[in-house]
Amino acid sequence: MTKVFTDGLSFALPLLIMAVGAIYSEKSGVTNLAIEGFQGFGAFIGALIAVLLMPVMGNGSQAVIYIAMAGAALGGGVYACLHALLCINFKANQVISGVVINILSVALTAFFTSSANTAISGTSSNKLILGVSTRFSVPGLSDIPYAGGLFKNMYPFEIIIIALVLFFSYLMYKTRFGMMLRACGENPQAVDAAGGDVEKTRWIAVIISGALSGIGGICFAYSLLANFSPSIYLGYGYLAIAAMIFGNWNIGTTAIVCLIFGFAKSGGYQLCIAMGLPSNYSDLFLMLPYVLTMLLLIFFSKKNHPPKAAGEAWDKGKR
Amino acid sequence: MSEYIVEMRRITKRFPGIVANDDVSIGIRRGEVYALLGENGAGKSTLMSMLFGMYEPDAGEILIDGEKVVFHSSNDAAARNIGMVHQHFKLVDNYTIAENIVLGIEPMTRKFGIFPCVDIKKANEEIAELSKRYGLEVNPLDRIEDVPVSVRQRVEILKMLYRKAEIMIFDEPTAVLTPQEIDFLLGIIDGLRRDGKTIILITHKMEEIKRIADRCAILRHGRLIDVRNVADTSIQEMANMMVGRQVNMSQAKDEPVFRDEVLKVEHMTVKNEHHFDVVSDVSFSVRGGEIFAIAGVSGNGQTEIADAIAGLIKIAEGRIVLSGREITALPVRERAEAGISYIPEDRQGTGVVMDFTLRDNLALREYYKEPFSGKGILHFEAFEKYADELISKYDIRSAEESKTIMRSMSGGNQQKAIVGREIEEHAKLIIFVQPTRGLDIGAIENIHRHILAERERGAAILLISLELDEIMALADTIGVIYSGQLLKIAPASSLTSHDVGRYMMGVKEA
Repeated sequence: MTKVFTDGLSFALPLLIMAVGAIYSEKSGVTNLAIEGFQGFGAFIGALIAVLLMPVMGNGSQAVIYIAMAGAALGGGVYACLHALLCINFKANQVISGVVINILSVALTAFFTSSANTAISGTSSNKLILGVSTRFSVPGLSDIPYAGGLFKNMYPFEIIIIALVLFFSYLMYKTRFGMMLRACGENPQAVDAAGGDVEKTRWIAVIISGALSGIGGICFAYSLLANFSPSIYLGYGYLAIAAMIFGNWNIGTTAIVCLIFGFAKSGGYQLCIAMGLPSNYSDLFLMLPYVLTMLLLIFFSKKNHPPKAAGEAWDKGKR
Repeated sequence: MSEYIVEMRRITKRFPGIVANDDVSIGIRRGEVYALLGENGAGKSTLMSMLFGMYEPDAGEILIDGEKVVFHSSNDAAARNIGMVHQHFKLVDNYTIAENIVLGIEPMTRKFGIFPCVDIKKANEEIAELSKRYGLEVNPLDRIEDVPVSVRQRVEILKMLYRKAEIMIFDEPTAVLTPQEIDFLLGIIDGLRRDGKTIILITHKMEEIKRIADRCAILRHGRLIDVRNVADTSIQEMANMMVGRQVNMSQAKDEPVFRDEVLKVEHMTVKNEHHFDVVSDVSFSVRGGEIFAIAGVSGNGQTEIADAIAGLIKIAEGRIVLSGREITALPVRERAEAGISYIPEDRQGTGVVMDFTLRDNLALREYYKEPFSGKGILHFEAFEKYADELISKYDIRSAEESKTIMRSMSGGNQQKAIVGREIEEHAKLIIFVQPTRGLDIGAIENIHRHILAERERGAAILLISLELDEIMALADTIGVIYSGQLLKIAPASSLTSHDVGRYMMGVKEA
């Protein structure tokens, strides 16, 4: 049972940071299906930096992980510029741009990974092997029965993600920038009339979206895979988008949805083990989050209010 | 100090294929209400958009307080204390009134002494105070999506006041208001003038100019025709200058000759997709030779009444009878053939196929019949002949005659095409929904003439309009709709526009 909490949380938090990224982009009025590509590309840059640094800083160095996270944020943010450029400046169809960016990301990172491996080690492997992240338990809290699992065997990145989510909630809901950003996604004309810069705000939002997705990606690379390889494209970017939709584009509710997804996944896995089923059944249980997604879609999609102007390029001349 | 607070000298602005402003010079005095009068496309909005920094003029200069200025954006204009209430409000629907007003210049506070936060409490207090001071009652905590248009307009005015605007531009501010709301707005504008503000009013309604403006500039086809003192100019003179010829302000309307009952609607209820009654228990009848007009504020169920009678939406309860034959369950085409013509509200969405030619659009009601087709094959010569006939009869103007793509035509000519097509059916009942919305005075005159001619012919006419002036000018009988119910049905001669306005607000006893 404690394992359900421990694993659930370590899955839910990277998912949440990606979903927050998606919320930023969509709340500013740019539909974002490119989270999957952002997280993959960000994770690649982070992993590449880690692989390059590990010989210098020592294999067991935990500092590498933090530098890799910063690198992933940077990589995701830079890659997101492509989406911003297409959607905001060239007024391309935002859905198509998102899909293209996802496909491009898979191809680019696969190519760069094998190139990088050839350059570093002479083998054209499609994996960048990462170190292992240490884990820690919060003293006291982790001894609580059951729920203590939430505080047991935590990755350090979980704390960073929680801090980032708090900061970005504050930025979204309490500051002048956040108010402008949300207004951009509802009625960009109003922002323009109030003297705001719609294009700049959207650019910043999309870059934030890429950076946060990149962080989510590198965290998955460390926690789930311990390497960077094409298996980073597991569809969790899309799951983050689903979480955003059920969360009604609100960071608080989206956090709850991510937790539910996380516990459904770890719970399903533990259930499979507890029932003593052969391991090939575990794949069946891993479907749980997706089945849950489909069921929730049926019930929640009607009541949702997506940002009104999301998906529409903003044209200053149009009145 | 210069005589003029705003001076625009020799302004020229071109858009592809059209000169929107051609060498226009105006000067506006401090503290006056200055009206800009002109038809659609005369260039009044373009001129003011340049003063508000949304466009830059191709030639000419703008002076504020005698000082030459160049505006690159509306921010630059706002910095010189210019504010504008746009025709389409620029508000964020799911923000509160206060949030909308302070957007971009929010009062700030620091949480724990470090984190800068928007001080929404202070904003609410400031807005409440401001709204009281200028008599613009709003509740700062209401969300825009929950308040009616008239309140939204107040929010836009408060937005200008909060931003300390001294020069206020109003773009067609009364187009969406009831007579009572117009009175209120004109009162507010008068108050702002007494407060020393300079007001520029863009409009095509002469009555308002007469009531509130000091001076009036008349624009036609992008050129300045004249600037007049309103006190010395009659409404008729203004109208003539605006259109460029003698205008009939009100069409001569003969006494009605009522014939047999054509349309009877009994206890009709229409539900929307949320199973909510948008039309509830409505009963009325229209006789041949009668114009039955439904007045009401937008969104009170009038469009649904029209759609239900034409067969575009199903009714939940009640009966619709056309000349003694029940048509409640008939599909659209059978109703049309039974004798209903329909000029819908959404002319571009429902009335025409925008990417078809004018010729094909004109044949939409007839294409499946002889002589337009036989044995499933279309006869385009017949289409051509019919189109040419209607184009000359209804004065439909376009670049390439019958081959013109609908989308490239002006709104007025699109509407003339629809009206022509529907009238040619010689139907027993013709439903007009917002027939003149967005059209200029020349096109309105044309369409009103056709409506009256059809009444003369003996057709029953159901006219649904948000323009009270139009209803008062044309109707024989008026039904006022409020919240899906017909509150009042009475002969037009027994009602004044203020009576109708009160019923439109839901007041049962006028």
